[in-house]
Amino acid sequence: MKQLLLALFGLGLSFSVVAQRVIEGTISDEDGTPLIGASVLAQGTTTGTVSDIDGNFTLTVADEVTNLVVSYTGFATQTVPLDGSTTIDIVLSEDAAQLSEVVVVGYGKQIRSTLTGNVAQIDGGDIENLPVSSVEQAMQGRSAGVFVQAVSGKPGGRINIRIRGSSSISAGNQPLYVVDGVPITSGTFSSPGSGSQNFLADLNPNDVESIEILKDASAAAIYGSRAANGVVLITTKQGQSGKAKVNVNLSGGASEPSRLREFLNAEEYVTLFRQTAVGAGRYDFNNGLNDFGLPDDEYTLENTIAAYTEFVEGRLDRYSGFSDWRTNETDTDWQDQAFQTGKNQNADVSVSGGSDKLAYYTSFGYSDQEGILAGNGFRRLSTRLNLDAQASEKFTYGMRLAFSRSDNERVSNDNQFSTPLQLIALSPITPVRNTTNEDYRGFAPGQLLDRPVTTYYNGLVELANSEKQSISYRTLGNVFGQYTLAPGLSVRAEAGVDVANLKQNRFLGSLTDGGEATNGYADSRWSNIVNYTTKALLLYDRAFESGHNLDFVGGVEFQKSNSENILVTATEFPLDQLRTISSAADITGGSTDLTEFTFQSYFGRANYNFDRRYLFSLSARLDGSSRFGANNRYGFFPAAAAGWVLSEEEFLDGNPVVSYLKLRSSYGLTGNADISNFASLGLYGASAYGGTSGLAPSQIFNPDLTWENTAQFDVGLDFGFFKNRLSGELDFYNKHTTDLLLNVPVPGTTGFRSQIRNLGELRNRGVEVLLNAVVSDAAFGWSTSVNFSYNDNKVLALAPGQDIIDDGGNRYMNVVKVGESLGSFYGYEYAGVDPTNGDGLFYVNETDDNGNIVNPEATTNNANEANFVILGNALPNTLAGWTNNFTFGGVSLDVFFQGSFGNEVHNSAGNFMSCGGCWFDNQTRDQLDAWTPENTDTDVPEARFYWGNADANRSSRYLSNGDFIRLKTLTLSYELPVTLIDRLGLSRLRVYVTGQNLALITKYDGWDPEVAADFLADDSPNIQTSVDFYTAPQPRTIIFGLNVGL
Amino acid sequence: MKITNLLFLLGLGLLTACDKQLDIDPFQSVDQDAALGSDATVKAVLIGAYDQISSGNLYGGNNLRDADLLGGTGEVLWVGTFNSPDEIARKQISTGNGDAEVTWLSSYEAINTVNNVLNALDVVDADDRDRVEGEARFIRGLLYFDLVRFYAQPYAAGGGNDQAGVPLVLTPTDVITADNNVSRASVQAVYDQVLSDLTTAADLLPETNGIFANSYTATALLARVYLQQGNYAAARDAADTMIESGRYMLTADYASAFMNGSNSTEDIFAIQVSSQDGVNNLTTFYSIPDFGGRDGDIEILPAHLALYEEDDQRLALFFERGGATYTGKFNDQFANVTIIRLAEMYLIRAEANERLDTEVGATPLEDINRIRNRSGLDDLDEVDLEYILDERRRELAFEGFRIHDIKRLQETVGAFAYDAPELVFPIPARETVANPNLEQNEGYD
Repeated sequence: MKQLLLALFGLGLSFSVVAQRVIEGTISDEDGTPLIGASVLAQGTTTGTVSDIDGNFTLTVADEVTNLVVSYTGFATQTVPLDGSTTIDIVLSEDAAQLSEVVVVGYGKQIRSTLTGNVAQIDGGDIENLPVSSVEQAMQGRSAGVFVQAVSGKPGGRINIRIRGSSSISAGNQPLYVVDGVPITSGTFSSPGSGSQNFLADLNPNDVESIEILKDASAAAIYGSRAANGVVLITTKQGQSGKAKVNVNLSGGASEPSRLREFLNAEEYVTLFRQTAVGAGRYDFNNGLNDFGLPDDEYTLENTIAAYTEFVEGRLDRYSGFSDWRTNETDTDWQDQAFQTGKNQNADVSVSGGSDKLAYYTSFGYSDQEGILAGNGFRRLSTRLNLDAQASEKFTYGMRLAFSRSDNERVSNDNQFSTPLQLIALSPITPVRNTTNEDYRGFAPGQLLDRPVTTYYNGLVELANSEKQSISYRTLGNVFGQYTLAPGLSVRAEAGVDVANLKQNRFLGSLTDGGEATNGYADSRWSNIVNYTTKALLLYDRAFESGHNLDFVGGVEFQKSNSENILVTATEFPLDQLRTISSAADITGGSTDLTEFTFQSYFGRANYNFDRRYLFSLSARLDGSSRFGANNRYGFFPAAAAGWVLSEEEFLDGNPVVSYLKLRSSYGLTGNADISNFASLGLYGASAYGGTSGLAPSQIFNPDLTWENTAQFDVGLDFGFFKNRLSGELDFYNKHTTDLLLNVPVPGTTGFRSQIRNLGELRNRGVEVLLNAVVSDAAFGWSTSVNFSYNDNKVLALAPGQDIIDDGGNRYMNVVKVGESLGSFYGYEYAGVDPTNGDGLFYVNETDDNGNIVNPEATTNNANEANFVILGNALPNTLAGWTNNFTFGGVSLDVFFQGSFGNEVHNSAGNFMSCGGCWFDNQTRDQLDAWTPENTDTDVPEARFYWGNADANRSSRYLSNGDFIRLKTLTLSYELPVTLIDRLGLSRLRVYVTGQNLALITKYDGWDPEVAADFLADDSPNIQTSVDFYTAPQPRTIIFGLNVGL
Repeated sequence: MKITNLLFLLGLGLLTACDKQLDIDPFQSVDQDAALGSDATVKAVLIGAYDQISSGNLYGGNNLRDADLLGGTGEVLWVGTFNSPDEIARKQISTGNGDAEVTWLSSYEAINTVNNVLNALDVVDADDRDRVEGEARFIRGLLYFDLVRFYAQPYAAGGGNDQAGVPLVLTPTDVITADNNVSRASVQAVYDQVLSDLTTAADLLPETNGIFANSYTATALLARVYLQQGNYAAARDAADTMIESGRYMLTADYASAFMNGSNSTEDIFAIQVSSQDGVNNLTTFYSIPDFGGRDGDIEILPAHLALYEEDDQRLALFFERGGATYTGKFNDQFANVTIIRLAEMYLIRAEANERLDTEVGATPLEDINRIRNRSGLDDLDEVDLEYILDERRRELAFEGFRIHDIKRLQETVGAFAYDAPELVFPIPARETVANPNLEQNEGYD
């Protein structure tokens, strides 16, 4: 032993003889947080080390070494001169262009500078602590080419996402969501009587480390048949070895509607309805209609007007209840009744840390967001445990496990009288309650009034006498293990499961519309969706000394999803307090249903680069799915890409302006398999009549049914100027989708309405620009990021001989038309008012055989004589986002604007709320300008009760420009100085205030131009968009919060 | 290396085991070959056709409601918020009218279903084959009769009738090709098909058949078709056959003929509705929320109420709410929807006997008095054609007769003549787009 020690000592001495010294130091980021695992290399040698959990390092270097090279992922590599001192504290600054950061890609990770595909990354920190209910909402406006639309202001509801445009007409257009490697159940889940709810709302946004959006074929093709709409990879937070870090976030605030719409008050209402009765009488008499059945000899203009006036005034008597409409005794603001100030409370606690063999991240989250609509709210409780362990040098394993409970207090969908915002249809002359001291028409003192006193069902009765609950219990879990077979070569296995259990209970009391005829109504639905995935991967990653770098991933994956619903409905309850179905006397319905799908896939990707200068990538996936016809079960999706990092070339080396420049291009095929599970089969479904069971045709077969194919070309430029103070990306892409999974309308005389076939073509073509700049990094810091995208969506072909799919009927006008953007508005072109008689006019727009309009000035007062024309886009073509971060000392201000341009919005409730008092719905204030013999210079036609006047819903009269710019998020925060918080025993203390949807610039007259009425979006998400039907606006939310770090 | 082995095994297992995992059969549906392959399943498909015609879009209510909205100007007022019936009531129907569209689509869905049954008769047990064929033909005849009445210019009693009717599809759809772009057959051809189906059905069907169509159901419908054609002798004889069979009886009082959970003694054919299955759209639109209706979407105007004598029990059935009057025939959302009832047969026999100056079965006066007595009114001493037609209007009010009677009798609706284009549904816009061979109706192109 002694000899050994001596020998070692001698060895040490002998080293010191060749002039060595020991350098010690710490490595931290600009905030002073120690960086763990940063690499320190003695320049010109192979001697190096990494920093430990406290950021400390010790390195023995030869005397002739003059510099240390310090690098860390996501930070600019720094060369530190050794000036003789043996202790060095090194502060690394984050790489402005984030070019060396690691991005998550399909089945792996990659350094951004070697990427050949287009991957947008959103840092979890950017979307932390925002008052939103789901992750994708926080993504809005933050990446170029990613359209995010909350269909309404109801929390926990549908969010439409379109990456580089809509590439399908009848199949899904939502991206594939992969959370920690597991393709999860995403999209929406239907909710009886309400708008559907968002599966992603079960995920706590504060658990998210990063979101990667795979946009081009090179990045996405490895997901094959489900990648055509892009792929969203969500990675949750991971623990770091080191002492436990405790993070607490508490916030609270309130929401209110971001915008209101103006309606008539009682006095204006009465005036307009007296006027509209006269207009109706005039119209009836002039056209000999005699709808009140006056005897022939009494049928005069005067009597007709009197008949209409009598009818209208009779109704005003009825609707004003116990109050007197002639004196404007009641003046109810129903809009005010529909909205509430919603409280917002959030609490998050996370603890992370670990030893060098085991790292953990745990979190607990609570979020309670009351909606802005009366009775609407969303609550989520979530926990997560992420573990990463090293069993041996060769074997690592880990798990991700999250549980959550989301509780959605639903309100009816936008198409129901019971939805709060339809309250605005009620008359301002109607009192909300019986405020007298005696019964009035059966309503007790204090009771909410309802029909026949109210014009329609009083939605407040629904709110007070019903319960609509929807609770989702969600488990997301996966385990993985990775074993290193040889240097650079490893195998990995993963198994993941996603279990969604949903409980949807609804009770409608004996006073509600749905329950009054049956002494109450209840339904209870339990659903269980289990989605599991297994996969095995072979990974290879090797850097060769000659500058050749190669990595490869290959694997197999199997996914199965199983979904089951159980529903019971019942009526006849003894009293409203007893709400469970065991109390019901009549079980009116019960059903269970079950469905499944599977995917079986083989995939691989090889990336090669030389010197990180010339980059190549090849990937492919072979996908099989139960969804497709027996003749076309497997599809092959290859992609290839190349990149050239010009800044690595000598001619740009040391260039004072250009710090980074990469040209890249990719081409590949992706698919879309997002259709119903058995669309290829010819089917008969079960039915019943008179207690006997039956069968009837439900679907015509198509054994050839297969994937939609999207061929996507992308060319892009990544750049960094002035030491990457200005950096960005520029992309052009062309996405051409063929073999569309098209729900082709067939002649109804066949007994079928449509058949899914692979027909038609669609194209999305566009540019994306991303610019990041550090404007100032002095004491006053300012960094800014702008993204902008333009997408041209065009339907190139439908079925042979087919030019249009028009399912709009008379209420909606979104169509699919060859040569136009998906869902374009197609209807009558409103031509204003005939000043001589007050008739609303439409342009005739008659076309010749070549489709050219022959007499563009011709107008008609008869809608059936006019022709439909394309009136505008429903999809925005231009999106923009602008984030700014200002810092001064501990104060930080984030300002984020979002913009959307290029579409129109259809108010499909126009023929109720803006129809010149055609019925007793309260009217928008613009109707006061209706034509009268005295007011002939107007765009609002003569008000004609009952008959209406040019109030066809399918016309540009109810269409407005949908462009908007929104001040989406503004956060002001103050981080207390370290010296102060040290004394408090904390590692961090930050206070902040965040405002969401603070300001809106738009020409739209309605509540909110970001709109897609929920019942339509559920029914036809691709086509019926930008349609407003009593749809709630986005909430304006302000929260105050506190972050504490221990 | 154990773990590596495990991983490789896992991978290998995936590679080999999963191909058959791609074969999944649906759980709520069966393949069409299975559905048409046996006696039991073909009979189930026939039940499926009844279920389809019981849809609210058809005989669950809308086919009846629309006849009274189209023809009820001055007598009823549509005050509901639904656009489609509103357009129908105002005779300002757009080609995209949702109700005109679903009535068309639902009718042809059911026609395809019965065509499948008729095509698969050879697998039906020989004992039941006639009944199954008869029921299928009854359903097809009923559907084409209403299609041609709603979507085409009226049948002219004088003949001709080469105006466009509706497409006649008499074989099941297997695959969809250009051959499925069927043109409209003439009104005459459609009526011929209806008569052929119904007379065959009357021949083949048994005398009793539970709630399903029997031989008398087909005969009763024939009486209605003949009357629409102005073939009074045939109408009279069919109605008389029905009445004289003695299988049906007027209910003791008028109100008892309505809101029945199971067929009344008077019901010849009714759509079965219960709290568990089916829909009664007459309740939906004519009734009020207390009884499961919308909001009293159809108000009855004084001009209609003036048709009744003061003591008429039929008048007493109307009720008032919030200053408006509603019919009380449909105040039960779970009651059956009567499609044909015996009173109509008396009225057909009376009208036909009166027109032909015959007394087959009974005199017109006897038949009319029978109807009057049941509603608590005294015997009359004499009746004329005008009175019989008025009695028909009172007795069958809001049961789906008005517009068809106006067209048959060449009366007017407000400012519209009986053959005005406004009183005919448009061929649905989606249909003229999907099938270029379909000619649109006058006034809608």
